[in-house]
Amino acid sequence: MNISKKLSAMILSIVLVISSFGTANAAKRLTAAVADWTGGEITCQVAVSILEDELGYKIKRVVFPSGTGLWEAIAAGEIDFACESWPSYAEADTVMMKGPLIYDGKTMFNYEGDGSVKLLGTTGIIGLSDYFIPKYAADKFGIKSWKDLNKHKDKFATIESGKRGRLIGCPVAGWNCHDQKRLDLLGIDFQADELGTEAAAIAEAVAAYERKEPFLLYLWQPHWFFGAYDMVGVGLPEHKTCDSFTEANNWKDCGTAAWPATGWAKDYTMNYGNPETFAKAEHADAAKFFTKMKFDNADQAVMLVEVKQKNRDLKEVVAEWKKNNPNKWKSWLP
Amino acid sequence: MSAEILDKSKANKNIVKYIVVLLIFLGALVLSIQSEGQSKFPKSVTDEFTFTAWVNDGEDYLKKNYRWITKIIAGYIKSGYYFLEDFLIDSPWLLIASILFLPCLIAGGLRLGLYSLFVIYFWGGVGMWDESLQTLALMGLSVVLCVFFGVLLGVLCSQSDRFENFMKPILDTMQVMPAFVYLFPALFFFGIGGAPAILATMIYAMPPVIRLTNAGIRQVSEQIIESATSFGSSKLQLLFKIKIPLSLPSIMMGINQVIMMALALVVLACFIGAEGIGGQVWLAIRNLDVGWAMEGGLCILFMAIMFDRFSMSFSKEEERLPLDVQKFYLLPQSWEKFQIARIFEKPLSYSHAIINLVCKKITNLISYVAEFITSLFNKPLGRDIGEFVGNRYYIIPSFIVFFIISFIDSNIFSIGTFPEEWKLSIRQPIADTVKSLTVNPGFIAFTKGLRAFVYLNLLNPLDTFLTHTPWWYTTAVFALIGYFTVGLRFAFITVLLLLFIGACGIWPQSMITLSSVLVSVALCFAIGVPLGIIASYNPRFKNIQNVVLDAMQTLPYFCYLIPVLMFFGGGIVSAVLATVIYSIPPIIRLTSLGLTQVSGTFSEVSRSFGGTTLQTLNKVKFPLAVPSLVIGFNQTVIMAFAMQIVTPLIGGKGLGLEVFNGLARSDTGRGLAAGIGIVLMAIIIDRISLAWTKKQREALGL
Repeated sequence: MNISKKLSAMILSIVLVISSFGTANAAKRLTAAVADWTGGEITCQVAVSILEDELGYKIKRVVFPSGTGLWEAIAAGEIDFACESWPSYAEADTVMMKGPLIYDGKTMFNYEGDGSVKLLGTTGIIGLSDYFIPKYAADKFGIKSWKDLNKHKDKFATIESGKRGRLIGCPVAGWNCHDQKRLDLLGIDFQADELGTEAAAIAEAVAAYERKEPFLLYLWQPHWFFGAYDMVGVGLPEHKTCDSFTEANNWKDCGTAAWPATGWAKDYTMNYGNPETFAKAEHADAAKFFTKMKFDNADQAVMLVEVKQKNRDLKEVVAEWKKNNPNKWKSWLP
Repeated sequence: MSAEILDKSKANKNIVKYIVVLLIFLGALVLSIQSEGQSKFPKSVTDEFTFTAWVNDGEDYLKKNYRWITKIIAGYIKSGYYFLEDFLIDSPWLLIASILFLPCLIAGGLRLGLYSLFVIYFWGGVGMWDESLQTLALMGLSVVLCVFFGVLLGVLCSQSDRFENFMKPILDTMQVMPAFVYLFPALFFFGIGGAPAILATMIYAMPPVIRLTNAGIRQVSEQIIESATSFGSSKLQLLFKIKIPLSLPSIMMGINQVIMMALALVVLACFIGAEGIGGQVWLAIRNLDVGWAMEGGLCILFMAIMFDRFSMSFSKEEERLPLDVQKFYLLPQSWEKFQIARIFEKPLSYSHAIINLVCKKITNLISYVAEFITSLFNKPLGRDIGEFVGNRYYIIPSFIVFFIISFIDSNIFSIGTFPEEWKLSIRQPIADTVKSLTVNPGFIAFTKGLRAFVYLNLLNPLDTFLTHTPWWYTTAVFALIGYFTVGLRFAFITVLLLLFIGACGIWPQSMITLSSVLVSVALCFAIGVPLGIIASYNPRFKNIQNVVLDAMQTLPYFCYLIPVLMFFGGGIVSAVLATVIYSIPPIIRLTSLGLTQVSGTFSEVSRSFGGTTLQTLNKVKFPLAVPSLVIGFNQTVIMAFAMQIVTPLIGGKGLGLEVFNGLARSDTGRGLAAGIGIVLMAIIIDRISLAWTKKQREALGL
């Protein structure tokens, strides 16, 4: 009996060993968290493909939903870098990053966290958030700005919101949009619904658009939704810098001007990584590349349409962009 | 005469009972209407009882001081996982295919073999070859670890009553505690990817092995044990030579369940960076690509069915046929009367004979050579080896096949990964179907009507009622129910548990969760029981239904979230509907089981007394099937509670959302408190309904 067991184990392990040769370790290896929204995926693919093809890196891609877990994983060194973080959505940025956020050579913001995550540089993409309604609804009801919303609130009502209109709001509480507070302060009699995920909010918006129903949606640009559907922003009030929009003073003061507002300057999206990894000499090239990278909103928007509307392979689209626009990215190389 | 009086007093008692229930309900109604806003726990208590802060402090302490231990454990698991993953992905695909195909063929016959080929083709065909293998590696390793530790703990449980009693509540908690609650802390301790995913899977999937091992060992009959003891076996001998071997079928059943549960959790593991199909399904959802999500879901579903049948074929006794009857390999044996079937099967039986012969010859040859060589050094050892090899005339040729494939791959030409030309895609048709339904006015009118009905008549009133009723009143009512169904001790425990929920400051959220669960379960009942009744009368309908239910239970619930969103919009109604889809299978199954099991005599008697089908069903079958129905109800409730953790993804509210918000801010304490809230409510309702069935059973004399 015993012999038979030993023999079985031996044969099995021999087969396993024989078959698993290879996979040597290269020095220039990095692990990247690939964002889980399409815009982020494109930015990531642009960065990763340049690192791989031009700078000779071997990069392991990990699909990792964005959120606090990702920041912790980067701080712990499990993941080396992630692309396209949106400061407006990340609560961890002020806690974990240290140093200036530089765009176009100008310091936009100074982080004063513990530095457990390194700000590698801006991606070049600048986010813009607003509340949007479909064009057909804007034309039909003559809605030109957020001030007209109250008049037509019954058109935007659902069963759950009753007599009030409904805003498909910021889907995640952690993003700190404070939609309901803003609506109340602006005097818009709408109810903000938090649907839990971007996918849920977009799914509902897509279905409503296909049925040509009016709806009010919080969204940001660049987003593939705008390539597929004709949306009009309601133009939220101008943004003002101010720190008093907090629970402590009951969200008063400059709440109406807080994010997401028109002309807000914070959403310079950025790449971020593990500080120890990028302090190493062999990753100096990558670190330099990230400081120089400056991807463009318009380019991403075009690629979003290619990927989402024409159902093309993302890698193929990025490769094509690289081939046709070498002058755009050659300058990012160290 | 006396019987009449008894009846009367019983009737009186019943009326009193109903009046009391009605009064309690009216009291609650009055109180809830009078109260201004949601009922909240006194602020002085919630401010003092900072459970979340304690948990977070504890976590910080553990992180600071014990992280090095967890890192070492994670390192071991990770290296094992990477080894397996690299092996699966880097090997030529033909090798992997044959490693999966041959055991299925040997253990489950030609039918399972062909099915496994189909599964393998599907993985590659939809372009998820690597992902499927990653999931396979993740699942394989967690199942191995689960079985190892599960059997160990199960054996310990079976040896000591005290240990069993200690483990019972822990196992309950492990099964009901939403996986999200420990998924993210696992991330901080064990890093991302395979290691925390495997550990989380172990927490979730281990209970059945422990339970079934324990039950199996305890069920070994007294006589066998006695005779073994009288032959002088020691306690250890008794355990290892008698008890464990005899309880193997039970343990195998536990393993089967572990495989299913591990597959369910491995999908969730994408949230902590584990690779595999889960990540694909999540990406598909982010992209609102229903077809893509379905492809991923089907990869998992087919994998689950394959492993289920494979492990079942081990625990099942082989069916033996008389020698003169030709055995059918592919078609059902009952088709033997058809000429065509016999002709179709002929070549199969010939090829079986040929393969059998070749395998035996090769194995004999190898066994002879091995015996000859070793016996030059050591005669008995040589004989042993020869015998060992000679008896394995399926396994040895399989290994030869594996070896040939590896040899060809490394020396002649590289086989590589699954060929891309063999593509198969079902994305477009599924996506088109969903899209056409989304804009179909009739269908949307129906979904809107349903949404309005559920919200206006069920969810909204119940929500308001439960959240507005004062907490002390609700607690008292629960305690009363607990006292009358289970006993004083349980009533006391119920109060304590509910007070804990209140003190954590999550009373309103837990009432919202309770109302969502109650509405979901009520809908499950309204839809499931009729379906179960139909199934109990119509075997063909039942067969189709069983397949659908199997699929519903194994398909990752992510897959049907998007269609629900598209048709019903986000919000609590969608959350309730998703919960219904997820948790309806047990109630359907157990209704039909309960009704079918009512012995024929009862319905025969009823019919001979002139009862119509409806009467028989209503007056005889249903009352007798109540225990089974309640078990179904119970399972549905537990599953509905478990689903509350997923519904925030599509707009669900309540405790599930608390868990998500806690995690989004990396506030483990907040997430844990809400998770515990879900567990506690599930446990209270579970105990009450179980106790109620017990009484019912006793009353029926079953």
